[in-house]
Amino acid sequence: MSKYYDLNDILVEDEVVSTVFHHKANGVGYLDPGSEDDNVEKGAVVELPLWLAQDLSRRKIIQVNLPPCFGAKVRKEVQADPACVNLRSKCPYFYEMGCKLADITGDPSLGGFLLSTLRGRYRDILCKALTSTITSTPKFMTLLTQEETHLFEAGRDSMRTFQKWRLQGPQLERAPILGRKRR
Amino acid sequence: MYGRSGAELVRELTFDDHQIRRFNHDLFNKVLGEIQEHYYQVSKIMTLLQEENPSGQIMHVDGNYSGALIHHQSLLRNKRCLLSYLYNRAQRIQRLRWQLGAVLPEDVRDLLHPSEKEFLKSYSDILGSYMTTVDLDLTVDATPPKDPYIKIRVLQHIGEVLLGDQTTSLSRNSIHFMKRTEAEPLISQGLVEEFNG
Repeated sequence: MSKYYDLNDILVEDEVVSTVFHHKANGVGYLDPGSEDDNVEKGAVVELPLWLAQDLSRRKIIQVNLPPCFGAKVRKEVQADPACVNLRSKCPYFYEMGCKLADITGDPSLGGFLLSTLRGRYRDILCKALTSTITSTPKFMTLLTQEETHLFEAGRDSMRTFQKWRLQGPQLERAPILGRKRR
Repeated sequence: MYGRSGAELVRELTFDDHQIRRFNHDLFNKVLGEIQEHYYQVSKIMTLLQEENPSGQIMHVDGNYSGALIHHQSLLRNKRCLLSYLYNRAQRIQRLRWQLGAVLPEDVRDLLHPSEKEFLKSYSDILGSYMTTVDLDLTVDATPPKDPYIKIRVLQHIGEVLLGDQTTSLSRNSIHFMKRTEAEPLISQGLVEEFNG
């Protein structure tokens, strides 16, 4: 409940996973584009957003398949060189989603895989965050997931604040909302 | 359906971290409409269930049960998106009060929903009355000052201002030496800037 208002948590749960229905569901034909009446049949394979899949799988109505971004192919790629894999294109909320999926699918190896991925990528992110120039967005940002982007920005901003403190620049600034219009 | 519009509404807030955009009436009302639709569907299925099974006890999972559940969850999801949208906007509005003072510039005010304006006013009143009680302006000196006085340069013509016990004319590009607590609100409103030169 602590994350009820959390914007990112809401967006993580908007990601889609493929699921298999164990029971028939009436009146929800809009979920399954292939259904002919207004129902989803037993055994149908349907793409559901994570928020719905979480609850339904807890009640054993559906079974969640592990999305391809956590599959064997990606795991091999990550093992080869974690820092170079473009995780953003695979799943923008790789870690958060992985944590939630580990819960639902009960895959015992998923947690360890996420940890080793982050461990492999963290050093590079931290190094680049602390040395990056102020304004330009480095090219490698396009490889990062949302969570990693936050880490990167936190590192870059703390470095920037430190520099500002050391150089004793102006400490009072105008409110950011007014920054749009120039005088 | 699917809670897509709700997520879109929430996504809008993540584009810029601290800015306020115009209240998105269209999308907000669309999500409200979806909630109505899901509610209608749930009640329809519930009536069916009641007819089939007057005791009201659910003995096993069947099509109607899971259908109602899906609609119910969608409804809750949409509710969460709407509340989160309002809550996060309210947080930003509170921050504006600290940065810009009790009166917002006209173009910022225009972005707010009428009830958000009301919220800002009540929040501002509470904060104001608290600061009067403790006799301290909490919005200044957020960073510890090294010197009680500060040199500033005026960016826009302001005119005659009462500083301390005398009036000073703040005209464009003039440089003044004034109390930090008095300069701070002017800086955050973008009227003057700190001058180090």
